[in-house]
Amino acid sequence: MTAAAGFAAWAGAAVIVLADGRRGLAAGVGLVAVGFAALAWTAGLWLEGAILLVGAAVSVFQLLRAGPKEWGLMPPGSTPRLILAVVGGILSLWVAASVTTGPGAALRFASLAVLGLMAGRILQSEGGVAVLSAAAGLALALAGASGLAPNGGGLAPYLVGAIIAAGALLLPTAESRAA
Amino acid sequence: MQPELAVALPATGALLTIRLGLGLSISPMSLAVLLAAAASLALVVTFPPQRANRAVLSTWGLAGIAGMAAIAMAPSLDLVILVTLALALLQAVVAGRRSLAARLRAPALAVALLGAGLVFARSEGAPILATFAAVGLVAGLAAAVGLLPYIHEFDPDEVTAASPIAWIAFIGPILGLEIVIRARDLIPSAAAAFGAMLVGLGLLNILWGSLASWFSEKGASAWHFSFMADWGLVLCAFGVQVADGQAAALLVMYGILLSRLPLYLWSRQSVREKVQTDRPINLLGAAMLAGSAPFAGFAARVLLLRGATQLYWPLALVIAIGLLLWLPPSLRLGRSLGLPKGRQAVGAGIALALSVAIGLYPQPILSLAGL
Repeated sequence: MTAAAGFAAWAGAAVIVLADGRRGLAAGVGLVAVGFAALAWTAGLWLEGAILLVGAAVSVFQLLRAGPKEWGLMPPGSTPRLILAVVGGILSLWVAASVTTGPGAALRFASLAVLGLMAGRILQSEGGVAVLSAAAGLALALAGASGLAPNGGGLAPYLVGAIIAAGALLLPTAESRAA
Repeated sequence: MQPELAVALPATGALLTIRLGLGLSISPMSLAVLLAAAASLALVVTFPPQRANRAVLSTWGLAGIAGMAAIAMAPSLDLVILVTLALALLQAVVAGRRSLAARLRAPALAVALLGAGLVFARSEGAPILATFAAVGLVAGLAAAVGLLPYIHEFDPDEVTAASPIAWIAFIGPILGLEIVIRARDLIPSAAAAFGAMLVGLGLLNILWGSLASWFSEKGASAWHFSFMADWGLVLCAFGVQVADGQAAALLVMYGILLSRLPLYLWSRQSVREKVQTDRPINLLGAAMLAGSAPFAGFAARVLLLRGATQLYWPLALVIAIGLLLWLPPSLRLGRSLGLPKGRQAVGAGIALALSVAIGLYPQPILSLAGL
């Protein structure tokens, strides 16, 4: 279960890296949230996981509500992004499962993979919506990673992460300013 | 305080602590920096730069102060990083000349690096993991503030609230302080590596910042690089993990907030008009920016050199040579102030007087910071 959740989070981050359309970005943010929520639930953090899902749901709704409804998955010239998604996942898996030890390998993998891929997406992207979607993913990953803290981190990081994820897509982008 | 309120506040605090994991407290050093930021904002709003809208300055300044207070009071590094991300997103809303992606790039990279450092710090395994964590935290700090090797893209004509100056000169001091303080608790086994990386990065920024400030073609860019040079001193001082080093870091941050930032804002109009003057006020401004006696920068430099000597005397020698690089760019920046008139002249006078007071008797500030 935890392995599947970690994989879902990485898959969501990979979709955010590979997609330019709003549907694709929404699917990515949703998958990242499902992955981290499931990881929180497996640790017994029911409320925390639910909060992450609610925050991501607002973000997904906002992505699907406005703008052109397209997936925009792997547009021409996206080979470097595909390589980033795959190599980022493999590197994170190696660190989480081999370099580090102890319980929580799936959460370590998901956290490192999503943080790395979202940073890559923000550095590479020029589009406002893609950058804000990546920022939402970053907030979800940071909130989820707080579960690695010795005392669990408490509810606050999940709440703040969910608020940021929900609010990020409400911000005006360069495209909407120009309109 | 009314009795009901006296009971209600601790009860609210307890509720926050239990339900949200929020223990609202602030360290003395953070409080000292937060007060300096508030004083800097008050100075700039009371004596606004030419063409600046006081309401806009107050709004964005107070939003920044609120964010800085949230960073200072956050009970964990997770929340510090999340609040930093929120601040970066809010700053992206300010209408600026750079694209949203360009403005979010460096802070988002900082958040990811800090997050990765946190994951490494909390993972079990080989001792090298603590060093990886230190690398992530130091790199994240540099990216958040906008230092070498992650200098934020700078547009000289951009409004200050939307520009990297907001990070390097206003939010940066409290953010840097919190990251350093919390990182020391998080990775005690890598304290030496953490300190060494801070010193190395600090020396690099001293060299690059001061030389770039000296030779940069555009006046506004010269100011931007001068903040980097000051941050080089702060990093060196944090890296020198003795009491004198921490005191030096605090005083340099006071210099950034109370001297360099207001002077930068007041000089913007004359920099745009390419006005250069050689009046006494310009020389005094240059002396303050260069850290000459009796200004606050001098006390900070003495403390830093004393701390570095305690740690490893050749380091003090290198820093002392680096300090000489402040003179030429400070003269240039002092001239670019133009001739302050009216409110700005009063503001510049207050900034100079504050710096002299701190330089001559820094003890009240150091005591406030618990040093």
